[in-house]
Parts: sequence; C-alpha cells; structure tokens
Amino acid sequence: MLPWNYGFHWSAASYIFLGAFYTVLVIVATTLVIALVRSRRELRANAVDRIRWHSDFHDLPEQDRMCRHVLTGEFKSRECPHAFDCRECETHPKLLAKRPLPAVDEAEEDLFGMSFPLDRFYHRGHTWARLEKDGVMTVGLDDLGRRLLGVPDAIQLPQVGERVHVNGTAFRFRKRDADVRVLSPVDGRVLETGSPERGWYLRVQPDPLDVRHLLRGAEVRPWVMREMERLQMALSQDRSAPTLADGGVPLDDISVAYPNADWDDVCGEMFLEA
Amino acid sequence: MDKHFIARGVKRCSNARFLLWIAPWEALLVFGLYAAGLCLVRGLNQTNMDNRFAFGLWIFLDLTVIALGAGAFFTGFLLYILKIADLRSVINSAVVIGLVCYSGAVCVLAVDVGQPLRAWFTFWYPNVHSMLTEVTFCISCYLTVLLIEYLPIVLKNRKLRQVPSFLVFEFELHKLVYVLAGVGTFLSFFHQGSLGGLYGVLRGRPFAFREGLAVWPSTFFLFILSAAAVGPSFILLTTWLVEKISRKRLVRPEVLRLLGRISGLLLGVYVLAKSIDTLVWINRTSPEHGFPAAEYYSWRPFGTWILFLEIVVFGLIPALILLAPKLRVRTGWLVSAAAMACCGVALNRYVQTVQTLALPTLSFDPFLSYSPSWQETGTFLAVVAYGVLVYSYSFRYFRLFPDERELQVEVKHEEEERELVGRY
Repeated sequence: MLPWNYGFHWSAASYIFLGAFYTVLVIVATTLVIALVRSRRELRANAVDRIRWHSDFHDLPEQDRMCRHVLTGEFKSRECPHAFDCRECETHPKLLAKRPLPAVDEAEEDLFGMSFPLDRFYHRGHTWARLEKDGVMTVGLDDLGRRLLGVPDAIQLPQVGERVHVNGTAFRFRKRDADVRVLSPVDGRVLETGSPERGWYLRVQPDPLDVRHLLRGAEVRPWVMREMERLQMALSQDRSAPTLADGGVPLDDISVAYPNADWDDVCGEMFLEA
Repeated sequence: MDKHFIARGVKRCSNARFLLWIAPWEALLVFGLYAAGLCLVRGLNQTNMDNRFAFGLWIFLDLTVIALGAGAFFTGFLLYILKIADLRSVINSAVVIGLVCYSGAVCVLAVDVGQPLRAWFTFWYPNVHSMLTEVTFCISCYLTVLLIEYLPIVLKNRKLRQVPSFLVFEFELHKLVYVLAGVGTFLSFFHQGSLGGLYGVLRGRPFAFREGLAVWPSTFFLFILSAAAVGPSFILLTTWLVEKISRKRLVRPEVLRLLGRISGLLLGVYVLAKSIDTLVWINRTSPEHGFPAAEYYSWRPFGTWILFLEIVVFGLIPALILLAPKLRVRTGWLVSAAAMACCGVALNRYVQTVQTLALPTLSFDPFLSYSPSWQETGTFLAVVAYGVLVYSYSFRYFRLFPDERELQVEVKHEEEERELVGRY
C-alpha cells in the first residue's frame, strides 16, 4: 500500500490513494504553518491590540455593532464593516458630504443628569479625547463611563512613553468583580498619566492626529440615548436588579445601587469587551 | 470560582450544580474505562464476539456515531463553502459534536482492533485489499482536522485569550477554517462511503452485498447520503436538548427550522435512493446469488417489519414532516422528526452490522445470535459518558452558541412584552 511496504507496486489505485492522502496531509500541515507564520508576524508587529479588538467586535451582539449613521437615522440598520474605525470607511465621508452634521448651539449635552461637553470627541467605548492648544490629546472617561466605574478598586495605566492605538487598550480597571479594559480613542504616545480625581487618565501625543472615527456634536445625544437603553438592558438581564426609573438620574457610582448585579457583565457590555 | 473562565454575558449554573451533573457521567466513564482496559489487557475474549460474529455492539456504535457526527462536516460545508451564514449559530456546537463522535469512534475502534502496542501497524502496513484501510486513514485524518477546528473554540476561552499568542493564533487559524472545512468534507465524504462500501463488497453475505458504480457498491453512496441527511437532524436534536437542559434559548428557531429543512430534503432523496436500491436488490442482486430476499426476513426477530421501520417510519415519515413548512414551525414535530431520522440511521447501521452477520449464508449455517458482554456494554457507555462530558465542559467554558448573549436580551424583551400585554 505504501512505497516502503513489502510487495508494494505502483498502480493507478496507489497513485490515486497516495495522491489524495498526501495532498490532504500537505493541505492540513500548510494551513497550520500559515496560521503559525502569520501569528508570529502579527505578534512581532505588536498587532495584539488590533486583533483583540477585532475579535471582541466580532463577538458583540449585532445591535451593538451598528454603524454611527444608524444612530443619526441615516440608515435603518447597518452593521459597521470596519469595527468602529471610520477612517477606513468609504461610506462615512460620502454620507458626511451629502448630509453634514447639524450645528449644535449648546456647549454641552445634558442627558439624564450627565454632562457630555461638546468640545471633545467621543469613542463608543465611553472615552473622550480633547485636543489641547499644545497639540496634545487628553483622554478621559465620559460621564456614563465615570459613573459605571465610580471609585475604582484598581487602575492599571500605561507607562509614559508607551504607544496606544485606536481601539486598543488605553488602560484597565477593576471594580468589584469587574476586570475590564478601556479602549483608546486615539493613536499616539503617552506623555502623562492622570487619575479619576484629575478627571482625565492620559495625555497623548497623537500620531497621526485623526479623529474621523470619533463621535462629535449632534451625534452625541442619540448615541447616549442608545447607551442608556443598553445600560438598562445590561442591568436588568439577570432579573436581580430593578430597571432604571423614568426621569431618574444615574448616581455618581451606579454600582452602589445594584449590589447584586454582575458588574463584570455590565462593564464588559458597556465598555465593549466580549 | 471559575467565573473568569466562563464567557462574559452568558449565565452558567453554579459549580456545585455542575459537579452534580457531571458526577454520574464521570462514574460511568470510569466504569467504561475499566471495561475497555480489561479488553485491551486480557484480549477480545472479554467480549461475546467470535470469528463468526466479528462485528458487534462496537462497530454498530462506530457506524452510528460517525453518521450522526456527520453534522460537523456537513454544517461546515454549508457554512464555509456554500456560505449559508445562518448556520454560524450552530457551527461550534457541530464541531464539538463531530469531535466527540469521531474521537469516540476511534477509541472504540482501537479497543476493537486490540493489540494497542501495534496500533500503528494499521498505518504502516495497511492492507491494500481492505476498505477498512481507507476508513482508518480518513477517520484519523478527519479527527486531526476536527481537533484543529476545535482549537480556535478552546483558545477563544475568556482566560486563554488573554495570552497574546493564543489570541493571535486563534484569530489567524479561524481565518483559514474554510480550508479545513473543505478538507473535512472531502475526508468525511470518503470515509462515510468506505464504511458503507465495507458491507456492499461482502460477496459472501448476499444480505449486504450490493452492485454499484465501478468499484463502489451502492452502499458507498447510501452511507454518504444518509449521514449528510441525518447530521443536521442530530445537530438540531442536540441543540434542542441543550436548550431544554440549560433552560436557555441558544439559537433562533429559524436556524433549527433551516437545519430541519436541509435534513428533510436530503432524507427525502435518501429514502428514494434507498427504496430503489432495495427494489434492485430484492428483484435482481439477491436472486442472482441464489437467495430470494424474503428468506432473509424469515428468521426471527428480523421480519420485514424492520425494513418497513427503517424506510417508512424512520425515513419517509420524518422526511415528510421536515419538508412540510406548517409542521416544521412546530417544535414538537420538528424535534420528533429529527429524533426519528436519527433512529433511522442507527437502525440502518444496526441492520448492516448485526443482521448481516446473524443471517446464515450456507445451507448448513445456523442463525447466529449475539448479545454484548458487560465489558462491551461498559466500553459503549464510556463513549456516551465521554461525549456528554466533553460537550458539557465545552458548553460551560467555551462559546458554543455565539447568539446566546443576544438571545438573552431578546427573551427578556419578549417576557416584558408578554407582561405588558397581560397587564393591559
């Protein structure tokens, strides 16, 4: 049957069998080798953050992967094909050119007692980025993110000089049973690290300076409304917690009001970590 | 304690409850391993098989689980090659079921063949005249493919994916999974066929012998078709069972109906092919060998009822149910039909294995009867326990049903709506 067997002789059947058998082996081995080589290349290129986000994004529920233009009513439903990185999107600039964002008169959106200043850009993972006069980007948690986190049990910030990437990990926090990473809204090098008390977490030298993927102005209100719905759903999933009261205002530390809620699930849902 | 190993956003029972669930299966596995150990150490004299009745419970089990496990290759083929995206909801579960079925079959085959220290002979000194060689090579290769397909599911575990190299490898491997799906389809196609061919080429046993195309008897094609038809039904059935046991909605009902429709369509084609094959065999193949077909059914307990049961009750009827849209939307009918289709394939493999060997082929031959020894039954049960354990652990720690998290929200919405309707 096989060339090294006693009495083996070549025939059409042995050509077919051995051909098929070794082809299968070669294909399977090649597939594994390609996966290994590509993995090694990605690891060397420090692409772990990008891959982690793509993997997380893929695992998000369909309604959480929706395009920002669904929030503003331009589409009824559309899944973001670029994992919330509108810099790669061809449709986004066309839609903006066709229908620019309406101007907003207020300096900030006041929603459910939370403040969302409009002098900054918002990432859908509840961080904001503000361009300072010196060209540095300040990164912090938005008001909803801040209230979810309350007083964190621990925060793990990047080292000064470290690079952060859009949709990569900006920093991690622990709160009760939650251990969650927060996504970075910008690419760049960390210049300084802050704290919850200072109201911001990172100061980043942007490289490149590009904020096309971040929400701004009139986009903020519908997004926050949607996020409140998601929060309500996340808090009521295990039926151990009451839903948010109509007209109520979230506490400074929302977790205090939900002692039985699985805070890891809630934070994972809201900070987009699968 | 193990919360950080469980996917975020899904709920699993407590450790104590899980331990309570797996304890009896583990006990059964230990008992079965002891029985299998006896067979391996003391030899096949521990079984009730002999030189005349060489195929018994184990081969029946092998053939059945391999047919039921065909859902893995067929779902992979439909999803990755034919791009039926809805099946993404069940593909991980299908891979686990396939892995359980094939690895279980290989383990039982290893016990059946015996001589564990010479297990490698089957690869190094394969018998050129045996269809079993093709089966051995295909099953081993396909099991390797299934293990590789299972790898991304394992590496996607919440804790494991925190290791960067695991995360990246899983991501890259998943991108190439369509290649493995293609290879798996090719391998599974051939070994399902070879298993059928094993019986079809038995010239000395006219009950099993069939004519066919070139070197392939008709059973070669019937085994492929029946496995492809029943595989989706088994996925449907297991998914429904897991939903019932875990009390969660894991996939959308439309996905189960789609599986049912695919299964029904293929089952219909299979029943037609099987009926034609049976008619040809009754009217030509068997009489040409000097045996009127009715003679095979004169030996009790194998009456013609078994043929009727196999083709009509467990073939035609479930096919018609699965093909009828009005019946398919009702879970009771859908699941019952899927269960009947699975019983049908098991009965077919039983007939091919046990009835074939029991029937006399020479005028002085007696009708043989066989009942498995406790060691054989123990080994059989070990495979069942092993399957339940692997699936239970996989369900607990890996994301077998990607839509589960999303469906929790939908279920919640539905409950709220029902509550509101009830209130007003």
